[in-house]
Amino acid sequence: MNTGHTQQEIKFSDESLELVRNIIARYPQGKQKSALLPLLHLAQAEFDGWLSVPVMDYVASLLSIKPIEVYEVASFYTMFNLKPVGKCLIEVCQTSSCWLLGAEDIIKHLEKKLGIKVGETTKDGMFTLKTVECLGSCGTAPMLMCGAQFHENLTIEKVDTLLTDLKTEGKRKTYLDEVKIDKY
Amino acid sequence: MTHVKEKDITARKTPDTANTLSGNAATDVKVAYIDNKAYEVKDGETILSFIRRHLGHDLVPTLCDAPNLEPFGSCRVCSVDVALTENGNVKTQASCHTPVMANSYIYPSSERIQKLRKNIIELVLTDHPLDCLTCEVNNNCELQTVAAKVGIRKVRYPEGKNHLDRKKDMSHPYMTSDFSKCINCFRCVRACDEVQGQFVLSMAGRGFESHIIKSSEVSFKESDCVSCGACAQACPTSAISDVFESKSVANVEKTRTVCTYCGVGCNLEVATIGGKIKSIQAPYDAEVNGGHTCLKGRYAFGFYNHQDRLKTPLVRKNGELVPATWNEAYDYIEKELKRIKSDFGPDYIAGISSARCTNEENYLMQKFIRAVIGTNNIDACARVCHSPTALGMQRTFGTGAATNSIIDLKYTDCIMVIGANPTDGHPVTGAKLKQFAMKDKPSIVIDPRRTELAKYATVHLQLRPGTNVALLNMMLYYIIKEGLEDKQFIESRTEGYEDFKNEILKLNIDEMERVTGVNRELVRKAAIIYASANNAMSFHGLGVTEHSQGTFTVMLIADLAMITGNIGRRGVGVNPLRGQNNVQGTADMGCQPHQGAGYLDVTNPEYHKKYEAFYHAKLPNYAGYKIPQMYDAALNGKLKALWLMGEDNVQTDPNTNHVRAALEQLDLLVVQEIFMTETAKMAHVVLPASSFLEKSGTFTNGERRIQRVNAVVKPIEGTKPDGQIVADIMNRMGYKQTDYDPKTLLEEISQIVPFFAGVKWDELGDNGKQWPVLPDGSDTEILHTETFKRGKGKFAYNDWRESEELVTNGREFPYILTTNRELEHYNAGTMTRRTGNNEILTEDVLMINPEDAKTHAIKNGEMVCVISARGKIDVKAKVTDEVLPGILSSTFHFPEIKMNDLTSSIADSEALCPEYKVVAVNIRKSKGKYKTGKTS
Repeated sequence: MNTGHTQQEIKFSDESLELVRNIIARYPQGKQKSALLPLLHLAQAEFDGWLSVPVMDYVASLLSIKPIEVYEVASFYTMFNLKPVGKCLIEVCQTSSCWLLGAEDIIKHLEKKLGIKVGETTKDGMFTLKTVECLGSCGTAPMLMCGAQFHENLTIEKVDTLLTDLKTEGKRKTYLDEVKIDKY
Repeated sequence: MTHVKEKDITARKTPDTANTLSGNAATDVKVAYIDNKAYEVKDGETILSFIRRHLGHDLVPTLCDAPNLEPFGSCRVCSVDVALTENGNVKTQASCHTPVMANSYIYPSSERIQKLRKNIIELVLTDHPLDCLTCEVNNNCELQTVAAKVGIRKVRYPEGKNHLDRKKDMSHPYMTSDFSKCINCFRCVRACDEVQGQFVLSMAGRGFESHIIKSSEVSFKESDCVSCGACAQACPTSAISDVFESKSVANVEKTRTVCTYCGVGCNLEVATIGGKIKSIQAPYDAEVNGGHTCLKGRYAFGFYNHQDRLKTPLVRKNGELVPATWNEAYDYIEKELKRIKSDFGPDYIAGISSARCTNEENYLMQKFIRAVIGTNNIDACARVCHSPTALGMQRTFGTGAATNSIIDLKYTDCIMVIGANPTDGHPVTGAKLKQFAMKDKPSIVIDPRRTELAKYATVHLQLRPGTNVALLNMMLYYIIKEGLEDKQFIESRTEGYEDFKNEILKLNIDEMERVTGVNRELVRKAAIIYASANNAMSFHGLGVTEHSQGTFTVMLIADLAMITGNIGRRGVGVNPLRGQNNVQGTADMGCQPHQGAGYLDVTNPEYHKKYEAFYHAKLPNYAGYKIPQMYDAALNGKLKALWLMGEDNVQTDPNTNHVRAALEQLDLLVVQEIFMTETAKMAHVVLPASSFLEKSGTFTNGERRIQRVNAVVKPIEGTKPDGQIVADIMNRMGYKQTDYDPKTLLEEISQIVPFFAGVKWDELGDNGKQWPVLPDGSDTEILHTETFKRGKGKFAYNDWRESEELVTNGREFPYILTTNRELEHYNAGTMTRRTGNNEILTEDVLMINPEDAKTHAIKNGEMVCVISARGKIDVKAKVTDEVLPGILSSTFHFPEIKMNDLTSSIADSEALCPEYKVVAVNIRKSKGKYKTGKTS
């Protein structure tokens, strides 16, 4: 696991801390561990889109659980990134429907266009490319997800437009915005 | 672990009643059927334990099941078929975690099941290296055994993706891992959680990526591992092991003995090859430690054949210690002892015995001083640790030993731990206490430091060092105020309560709250928790005794137990965590200046006569010197010779300069030692002794359990067991003493020590016996069940008093320094620092609160100069909120730091146990005597 974040002090913003308290309050006393998944999403959103060891330790301390109880959960779910990621995390679905409708070509195109392989991050720290299993949008295959937004019925052209949009500051929503607005 | 062992356990835990029953079993007996034959069912047992109880261990193979772990059900190898009717439709169940159902029909080896097991193992083997012949655990591998048992001949699956290229982890001085051998059974993870409670290991990832991680996926060395080795012992393959290859079958010769590192008294199974120690494991059937032990017991044995071992007697000639023969050394000693005895008298000679040595050696040592020299100047290192416990409990109850047993933790509802840090000092009991507290059961910790246990406690009373009496008086006050006394117990079993109660109710709570620094509501809460639990157990350590009011504190702990009726049954009592392996036995054997073997008062004419007749010698009828009095006597010319058996007083007793000055005055200082110590360097004669691994005898642990220590190897060449050395000198001095032999000595002891009456070497067995042992050989788990040893339990009130040290020096030295232990090292580290433990913990540190650190501009890891009225030292700072502002705490395992230059000669008012725990000091940034960040 990547330690990262060793220089900065790890602490949620006041606004997020308020959210943390609300989330924990949903569960019976003594069962605060149940709040682990939502807290990890929040932490990932707030601390650069990935979970470093200090961030996970911080979450453990908020819930009074052992750090390793966080590591085992965080490493189990693919939606938690345990390595630094770019500002835009592009997750391309490669399960049956998307695959039949050309997911492989989309992935190859993205690799070529970004100059990276799946699992890597561009040198400018802008994009990370990842493949994922079914995101539940088979009717609009092929598709990918960036942040918490679906981009569907993809073609090579659409991917190119998307990349241009993502490079533009105003058109890019952060994962944090979306996590907070959509889920909580 | 071998299968034979497991079988033994099954047999021991559930003594077999009638085995098979006839088909028409009596109606009140519940039965289930194995292969259509009826067997009796016990409530709550699993299918696996049911089958094993009736048909032996080997019928159903298992992989993820282990004797000291909870059922888990991950490997499914133990699957059996279960039907509701004879030969009816079956369902496959993992037998290890499925409760057995009455009247069910179990088919443990049906064809279906055999096929299933075979397939499971086959799948496991697709991702397991088949290099058995060169594997460390070849022939002692549970996977190998199970594979053979289910009859694997080939693996039908083609070679696919696997984990065979995983890297080995050899980073740690003891622990190793090779996860290419891992079968994902979770035994290590569960051992870490359930046995030790450390939470270092876990399974990360999912599916094919599942793998064991250590902390945040780091190496053993970098992880938070405490090296207890529970995971290595639990691992069914060699995925986790240790550098000693403990599970290798090459280690065929095994000797069971008892650990020497603390009062828990873990049983150890020591493997040897060709007379050399290879490895140590913890036997699962040990009642004390049940398959667990700590890194000191399991791994820190390397000292025994370390090159530094003393191998020849040394005699001082022309100011220097030079090698001599045993005869020369004995000649010297004999001549000097005889001269001093005739010139000055026997009271000019004294001896200090050792809690590291066996009962038999301690018995001989006091016999030598009393019967041969003719003085009661015999004491032992218990003086500087638990003497107030012995005295305090004797005053209240009549006997100074733990009232209950560690197994009582299973039956108690509340624990109160006072001035003890068991997860470091008594790791196996500490792990049990931690498991208790972690499950959110009522736990009270009273300690100036936020110890590991305090982090899990329901209430942590973080008092100022030196205010135990004030705090416990407050607790008693609230118990009385809340009406939580056990009136019936007080009425029938105790005396002096009315006066006691009146004094307690007069307490000035405002003042007590102020001096202890603990909020009164918190104390009240703790009092209510302790008093209202059905069964409450208290544990205490040196944070209670090493104070000027140590004995009074012990008496209050006893009072708390009496006022709440927590005495004389399962799950209650007062349980001192004895420090050294045989500190209980040392006192039992009479290594005290006022009481002989069996705690009989030497000044009592009747007992005096009894001892004289027993030893066939003239004995003095007045008490001798306690250790601190010996130093004073030496300085005043009243003591000329001192005999030390295995103790480094210069480094471990307080106020080093005072001790040195005293020893310098002696005409004869004899030291029996295994290594050259600072004290031995001052001796006139040094005699090389054998370590515990090289001799036999008995140790008595903190729960009064007399256990057999069995010689694992021959004494290192040139050394002799301490007992033999003493016997030799007794003969030299004209007393006819047989050679050191535990069996004959135990027989002698059983005739003079009343509570050893039924102790016989051959009958002690593997797990020993808890005294008192009656003449018929039956032993005692719980004391004071009907009456107290002294008749009625005695309540006695004592006011809190500020330590003399703070009254005198507190103004000039405003900080309070206290001491604490670390898991890795034992006392002055003479042994542990000559093992791999020294790579794990390399130095002493001074804990200092961030606020104080800021005041003095001291950063974490910088050197701090600590100054007391007696001396100054430099030590590395560890900035932590484990201590409160104004309080400092330091470990003391590295005597070169000279912590005892700071400590005072102030001692407990009653038992003269030194007050190590309260030292008035000041601090400043070091002026650089040492470079900062020397090691890390």
